[in-house]
Amino acid sequence: MAKLALLLVMGISAVAVSGLAQEGEAPGAVFRVEVDMVLLNVAVTDNKGNYVTDLRPWDFQVTEDGIAQRLATFGEGGEAPRRLGEFVAGQSRPRLVQPYAARVSRGRALLDGSARNPIQVETPEGVAAMAAGASVYILFDTSNYMYRGFVFAQDAITEFIRSLENPDRVALYSYSRDFARVVPVTTDRVQVLRGVRQTIAGDDAALYNALLMTLRDAAQISGRRMVVVFSNGPDNASMVAPEDVRELAQAEGIPIYMISTREARHDPVSTAVFERMSISTGGKAYFAKNWQDQQKAFASIRDDLSHLYALSYYPQPNPNRGWRGITVKLVGDHVKNYRVRTRTGYRPRLPRVAGQ
Amino acid sequence: MKRSALFAGLLLLSFPCNSLLNPVAWGQAAAPGTQQSPSTPAPSSSMNRSRVRIPGPLRAFLRMAAISQKSTPEEVLPFLARNVVVEGYQYWQDKARKPTEYLKLLKDYLLQARELQTLAGSEGVLRVANCAEVERLLPVIGYRFRTPCGPGTTLETADPEKAFLAVDSGFPLVELEEALRQGTPFSYSVVSTEVPVLFDSNDWAGNEKSVLDTLIDDPALARLYWALARLDERTRLTLRQSPGIQKLLPLAAVLDFYGSHVYIRSGRVVVPGGAAAEPAWKALVGVGPDVPGEFVLRLLEKDQGWVAAYFDTLARVPRSQQTYFTNPERLSRFYEALRGKNLSPSPARPVFRPVAGLLLLLTRLQLESNGQPHIPGNLEVWKEVFRRKSDSKVVRDWAKRATGWSRPEQFVEAMFSLSRVPSKDSPFSVYLLLTEIDRRRSPQQRLSPATVRLLAERFSRYQNQYLLFTEWRELDNASITQFVTTATALDRVPDKMVRANALGTFQANLGLWQILARQEQIPAGNLNSSFQRVMRPFADIKTSAQLFDAARASLGEVLRAAAGKPDLSQEEMIALLGGPEQSTPAGQQMRQEMANRIRAVLDAQRLVSLNTLFSLADGLSGMTQGKAASDSLMRLAGELREFELPRPIFTERERSEWASGLHKNPHADLQVRTDLRKVINESGKAPRELADARGLLTPFFRDVLVGFNYAYYEPPGAQMLHNNTLFVRSHDFSGQMTPTGEESWQTPRMFGRGWSASGGAHLAGSLADLPYVLAQLEQDFIVPENTQSLIWADLVPGLLTAAVLPRWWRVTPAELRAVALYQRFGEELLLAAGNDPRLRQRVLEILFDRMLPQRLEHFEQALEAGRPQEVLPEFLPTESAYLAAEFRRLYPGEAGAGGPAEPELARLVREHPAETSWERIAQDFGVPHPTLIQTYTRELLVLKPLPTFLGYSSRLLAESWESNNLYWARLAEEKGHPPAMLHRLVPALTHRMVEKIFATHLEDWPAVLRAMREAGEEFRAGRILSAPNAERASGQ
Repeated sequence: MAKLALLLVMGISAVAVSGLAQEGEAPGAVFRVEVDMVLLNVAVTDNKGNYVTDLRPWDFQVTEDGIAQRLATFGEGGEAPRRLGEFVAGQSRPRLVQPYAARVSRGRALLDGSARNPIQVETPEGVAAMAAGASVYILFDTSNYMYRGFVFAQDAITEFIRSLENPDRVALYSYSRDFARVVPVTTDRVQVLRGVRQTIAGDDAALYNALLMTLRDAAQISGRRMVVVFSNGPDNASMVAPEDVRELAQAEGIPIYMISTREARHDPVSTAVFERMSISTGGKAYFAKNWQDQQKAFASIRDDLSHLYALSYYPQPNPNRGWRGITVKLVGDHVKNYRVRTRTGYRPRLPRVAGQ
Repeated sequence: MKRSALFAGLLLLSFPCNSLLNPVAWGQAAAPGTQQSPSTPAPSSSMNRSRVRIPGPLRAFLRMAAISQKSTPEEVLPFLARNVVVEGYQYWQDKARKPTEYLKLLKDYLLQARELQTLAGSEGVLRVANCAEVERLLPVIGYRFRTPCGPGTTLETADPEKAFLAVDSGFPLVELEEALRQGTPFSYSVVSTEVPVLFDSNDWAGNEKSVLDTLIDDPALARLYWALARLDERTRLTLRQSPGIQKLLPLAAVLDFYGSHVYIRSGRVVVPGGAAAEPAWKALVGVGPDVPGEFVLRLLEKDQGWVAAYFDTLARVPRSQQTYFTNPERLSRFYEALRGKNLSPSPARPVFRPVAGLLLLLTRLQLESNGQPHIPGNLEVWKEVFRRKSDSKVVRDWAKRATGWSRPEQFVEAMFSLSRVPSKDSPFSVYLLLTEIDRRRSPQQRLSPATVRLLAERFSRYQNQYLLFTEWRELDNASITQFVTTATALDRVPDKMVRANALGTFQANLGLWQILARQEQIPAGNLNSSFQRVMRPFADIKTSAQLFDAARASLGEVLRAAAGKPDLSQEEMIALLGGPEQSTPAGQQMRQEMANRIRAVLDAQRLVSLNTLFSLADGLSGMTQGKAASDSLMRLAGELREFELPRPIFTERERSEWASGLHKNPHADLQVRTDLRKVINESGKAPRELADARGLLTPFFRDVLVGFNYAYYEPPGAQMLHNNTLFVRSHDFSGQMTPTGEESWQTPRMFGRGWSASGGAHLAGSLADLPYVLAQLEQDFIVPENTQSLIWADLVPGLLTAAVLPRWWRVTPAELRAVALYQRFGEELLLAAGNDPRLRQRVLEILFDRMLPQRLEHFEQALEAGRPQEVLPEFLPTESAYLAAEFRRLYPGEAGAGGPAEPELARLVREHPAETSWERIAQDFGVPHPTLIQTYTRELLVLKPLPTFLGYSSRLLAESWESNNLYWARLAEEKGHPPAMLHRLVPALTHRMVEKIFATHLEDWPAVLRAMREAGEEFRAGRILSAPNAERASGQ
C-alpha cells in the first residue's frame, strides 16, 4: 500500500494539503488526502496582563469539540514553528514580560514628547523580536464617519507602521463604500507610508465587506497574519454580516484587531461587533480617547505579535461538519493561574469541488 | 395578412430602414460633409482660443473637483461646471441656497494651491533643502514636527482642515518627511495648468474674476457652460451669436437636459423628421428652424421646456421612426396630448430628467401594415382597461374620452398624455409591456382581447413576471392565461409559510425552465407544452406535503423537457444547467467549469442535495406502505440537521433592537428546528403524519431550487453567494416586507444592507430580474482600480447582467469570426472615408442614427481632415459593426473600403449564411434590455448612449451600451480562442473593465469605453486571462 508523505505547509491553517506518493512508488499509485491543519495564535497572560513566555508544547492542551488534539508544530513569538520532536523534554520555566504600556508607565510619561515614539523606549531584544515573520494587513476606514478625524487617523496609522519593526510584510487597504487595495502586501515600508497619505475620504462605510475582502487576501499567503482595522464605525453599507466575516477569520486563523476611538462607543452596534469579533478571533479591540492617543493600542498589538504562541494540529476524526469549538488549556500547577486568549473555534471547509 | 412594421429604434438591423435612403429624412441640406451656409460659423480656432489657469498641479485639482484623472484638458471645465451644479449646492425650489461640503473644500483647496504657488515663486517649484526651509511650508499644508527635525523626525497634523486639503489633494507628504529624515532636498512642482475655455473668457467672467472662480460661484452659469459644452461646435458658435449667452442663461436647465440634439447646419436647425417636418415644427415652436437662434430660444422656453423635451426625445429615435410622429398633424396633436393642461412639474426641474415614459413610448410604438399603431387585443378592450384603471385623475379623464375612440391614434394620444405620469401600473405601463409581448409574434400568436384584459387586470401584481412572455413568443394565450390562473391560485394558499414556499418553488422551476430554454436544451417546438406542464402541478396547493409533491412533479417536467427523463441526480442536474453536451475539448472543459461554478455556490450555501431530499421523500412514502424506516433513511434525515446558522455575534434582544425586524428569518429558523429523525420515530406509520413529515422537506427543496437559479446567474467576483450561508435561505417570498404584499411577485428588492445585526443583505420579492438584482447586490465587492473612481450603482449591474446571462454554446467558429470581421470592416470603412468624399457621405449618413451631433461632428471633422485614425479608438464596436452591416445592406455588391475584412466577410456570409447573418449575431452577442424594452431577449438596437432618467438613473445607459460582448468576442477570436471560451472570458473581461471605470458623472459613457479598451488591451497583451496555446488549439 502506498505510503502517504504528508506535505507540511507551515503557517497555513485550514487549507487543503495534498499528500504525494513517495519516490519509488509504482507509477500511477498516487493517493490524495485532504488534511486541514488548524493554526492557533495563542496569547498567555497572567492576571495582571503580563505576557507569559517560554512555555513549551506540553504546557498546552488543545481540544476540539472536547476531542483531545495532538500538536503538530509549536512556535513562540517571531520564531519559526517547529515540529514537536525538536523540543527537548523537561518542565518549562515560564517568564513574565510586562506589556508595553506597563513598561512605559513605569519609566516615562506616556504623553511627553520623548515617549511618543514607542520604538525609542523598547528594549533592543524586544524590538528585534517583535512581529518577526508576520504579515500585517491594515484596513483604514476612509468613510464619511472618519471625515473629521481623517488626518489624525492617518497620523496614527503612519505611526503604527513606523513602529512595526520587523514584520515580513505590510499591506494597506482602505474602504468606504468601495474597497481599495491601496498598497498590496509588501516589505517596502515607505511605499506603505506613501499609501497612507494617498488615501482620500469617501462616502458610505462598508466595513464588513472590506474586512471580508481583506481576510480573503490574507488567506492567500502563508505565515502568521493579522488584520488591524482603523475605524470609528458604524457600518452603513455592508452586504455581508459580521458573523460571516468572523467565521472566515476563524476558519483562516487570522486575528482581527480593531483600533478605534471613543467616538465609536456612541454606536453600540459597532462597539459590540468590534469587541466580540476581535476577541473571538484572538485579537483585541481598543478604544482610545482620540486618534492621537493610540500608543497603547499599537504597543499592545506589537506585544501580541512578539509574544503569541503558534500552535498547529491536524484535527482528530470528528463527524461534526458544523461549528467546532476549540479550547486551549494550560497543563500543570506552574501555569494553572495563567489566562489563554485564542480563537474560539471554526467551521471546517467542505471538501473542494473537483476540478477547481 | 397583416404585417407589423416595427420601428427601427428597436429593430434588429436586418429590418428595412428605408428612411436612411430617404432624402427628406434629415434633409440633403443637412447631411454631414456638405457646404456650410455663411450664416453658420465654421468650427474654428475660436474653440480653445481662450484658456484658464488651474492653480497647482492639475492632478490635485482633479482630485478635489471630483473629476476623473483620465479626463482630457478639454473636459476639465465642462466637468467642473457639471459638478458645481450637481454636487456644489443645496437647492430649494430651484434656487441654489447653500454650498455643500464639496464646494467648500474645493474653494479652500484653491486658496491653498495659490498659497503654495506663492511660496514656490515664479519657477513654480517648491524646494526644501533643509529643516529651516520647511518652516514656511508646514503651516500652509497644516502639519508640524512631531519630533525635532532630523533623522528620526515625523510630521503630524497641526491644522486638520489644511492638512486634510493637502493630503486629499495628493501633496507628497511622505516624500517631504523622508527628505527631512534623510537630509536630502525636497522639491514639488506646483506649476499651474492651462485648460481650454469655451468661446472666450470674457463671455463668462468679468475682469475681476477668472472663469474658474466664476463657474464655481455661479451654478446657473455653470449649468449653461455644461450644456453648451455638449453641443457640436458649429451649433454652439451659432447660439453664441444668437440668441447669445445672456438670453440662454435662464434656460440653462432646459438646454442641459434637452439640448444635445440641437443641431444647426447650413443656417437651419436640423429637426426630427427632416426637411419635411420643418413646417410642422415651425407651427409648434412659433418660429421656423431656418431662423436658428430664435427657433432654439423659443424651443427651450416654450411650455417650461416641454417642447424641448419632445424635440429631444424625437431626435433620439431613428429617423425611420421619426417619420410617423412628425407628420404635421400628428406632431401637434401628440404634443398637445403630452403637454396637457398642466405644465407642472417642468421637465427640467429635478436633478434627473423626469420619467422616461416618452422615450419608451416613441421607441416602442409599433405600426401595422396599414400605417396605424398596433394595439394589443383591440381598442374595445383598452376602453375597458381605462375604465378599470381609474386611480388617477388623468386616467379618469382619458377613460371618459375613451368611450368615443374609433381609431388607434386616439389611443396613442392617451399614451402620450400618460407618458408623463410616474405610475407603474397605469394603462401606459400596461400598454408598453403588452405591446412588447406582441412585438415578435405573428398575428396568430398575438395576445387575444381576453388575454389582454386578464393581463391588465392582474398587472399591478404580476407585471414583472410578464417578462416571461416578452422573451418567449412560443408561449401562447393559453399558457399566459394558465400562468395568471396558477399564480392567483398560489396567492390563495391559506398558510403563509406554505404560500411563500409555493411562490418560491413555482418561480424557481419556471426559472430553471427559462435557463434550459435559453440554452436550447428544451426544443423550440416543445416550449409551450412543457411550460404548461411545469405549471400544472401547482394548480391546487394547500399543504406543505402537497407542495413538495407538486414541486417535484413540476421539476420532473422541466427535466423531462430538457433531458428526456423526469429524474436526475443532483450531479446530473448541475451538469444539465452547466450546458448542453459538447463535442469539442474546449466545450467540454467549459461545460465542466460552468457546472463547477454552480456546484461551488450550492456548497457554499450548504444546501441539501436533491438526492437526499428525494430519497427521504421516497423513504417516507415507502413507510406509508408499511416499510420500516431504514438506517440509511435515518442517516439522511440526520443530514438535514447539519445546517447551522452562523454563530451569532448579537443577542436576540440586541437583534430586535438593532435590526428593525430585518434579522427575522422564520424560513431558516424552521429548517434549523426541523428534526426529521425525531418526527419519523414518533410518527409511527400513520399516513397523515408521514405526509406531514414529507412536508418538512419543502423548505429545503425550495432553497435548493432557488439556489440553482442564484448559482446560474452568479456575477463575476461574487462574495455574498460564497460567504453568506443564509443568502439563498433568506430570500423572502412572503410579501410581508411591504404592507400591500405586492413584492412577492415583483422584482426583488434588497433589504438589510448596512444593518449589522440583520444577518446580512437579502432579497425580498420574486425571482424576476434575478440576474440584474444579484449583480446589483454583488457589485460592491468589485475593487476599483483607480482611487476616487466612480462606479455607479445602476450601470454596473446592467453591464454584468449582459455578461452573465448569455451562454455561447451554439456559437460556431464561423460566427465568431464574422463578429470580428463586421467590426473590422466597419473600421476599414471609416478609415477609407478619410480619403473618399462619397464614401464619407455614406458613412456619416449611416452613423447619424448612432451618434449624438457633437460626436458626429467630431468624426466628420477628422474624416474631412484626412485623419480618420484619430477617431478610430473612439469608434464603438457597436458602431463599427452597425456601419458594416448597414453598408452591406444599403450598398450590396459595392466595394467599400478595399480592406481585407470586406471580402472575407462576404465570403464567410456566402458560405455560412445562417451563422453569420446579422440577426443571428444580434441574438447571440446582443444584450438583454429588461428595462428599456422589458425583455431578456438579447438584441442589438439602434441606439445612442442614453442619459439618466428619474427612476432609472444610468440603467438605461447600461442597456444602450451594447459594445462589450461584440468586443470581447472579437478579442477572443483574435487570440485564437474557441467560442466556448467566451463563457470564461466574457464575465472575466467585463469584471476587469468595471474595475477600470474611472468616470466623472453618471452619463460619462466615454469612461466606459475607455475602461473597455483598457481591459481589452490587457487581454491582448496577455496580462490577464492568458491561456496556454494548447488549450486554445484543442477547442477548434
